[in-house]
Amino acid sequence: MERFEHSKDREAVNAARARALEALLIEKGVITSETVDKIMAIFATEMGPFNGAKLVAKAWVDPDFKTLLAEDTMAAVEKMNFVTRGAGAEGEHIKAAINTPKVHNLIICTLCSCYPWPILGLPPYWYKDPSFRARAAREPRKVLSEFGLDIDPSKEIKTWDSSAQIRWFVVPERPAGTGGFSEEQLAALVTPESMMGVAVVKPPGT
Amino acid sequence: MQTNFEHFALGIMLGQSDMPPKDNGSLCFGAPWQRQAFGMALALSKQGVFEWDDFRSELIATIAAWEATHDKSDPSWDYYEIWLTVLETMVERSGLGSQGAVAS
Repeated sequence: MERFEHSKDREAVNAARARALEALLIEKGVITSETVDKIMAIFATEMGPFNGAKLVAKAWVDPDFKTLLAEDTMAAVEKMNFVTRGAGAEGEHIKAAINTPKVHNLIICTLCSCYPWPILGLPPYWYKDPSFRARAAREPRKVLSEFGLDIDPSKEIKTWDSSAQIRWFVVPERPAGTGGFSEEQLAALVTPESMMGVAVVKPPGT
Repeated sequence: MQTNFEHFALGIMLGQSDMPPKDNGSLCFGAPWQRQAFGMALALSKQGVFEWDDFRSELIATIAAWEATHDKSDPSWDYYEIWLTVLETMVERSGLGSQGAVAS
């Protein structure tokens, strides 16, 4: 079929096509040379997961804090002086699910609004999608593989359902190659997706 | 609850035949032109040059056409090449540029 034919210098051709299209759109005044970068920055910088990243980093360097986070999450959060009170008080009852070499945790929510936002920021759109939630409960391994995350078959996947009473977040495993990192350096590696369980924290530079 | 267009646009693709390749939960681009094509499509739809649903319908149809004429494991599969073709088609349909102008 002719429409899918491609030449040997396919990559160069595609790059030229994309360039030509962008040039045309800039010429027509539809976009500027900065438009693509601006759009992509939205994917690169997530909204407000910094508090959660600090909790995770502290748990990685301080075993006592990790234990407290697992057993009494709110007490651990209190120690951090975050603003968890106030607007909507969504952070009132947060619980941590700790990833281990044997267990990978995934959080879902059968209601629409619950998500530990003082820690994780606002939920992405797909997180509130009923089919995502239903499938994550039914076939978590398959859903995770759609996120490009293949969990080792030897690992158990536990799915935690947030509710109006309890909002879960995941403490991902500390990546290799981070010995000697400060809490701040570690926190910079933690992504919102990893605290929802749909991704893992990758070693630095990978 | 604020939902930005970018999250919405990607969210409705999740688990569908037109979902972009992902790696560890993130979008992954094999080359700068792929990121460029992806960003342009979102920008144009956001501005109303075409509806996101229409872009997706064309993308799903084009992927289906490719799959009907190729083996599923054919190594010549290139998601973003198809994306780029669809984007050119949508721009042409919007009356912004002809195939000739895009190809020149």
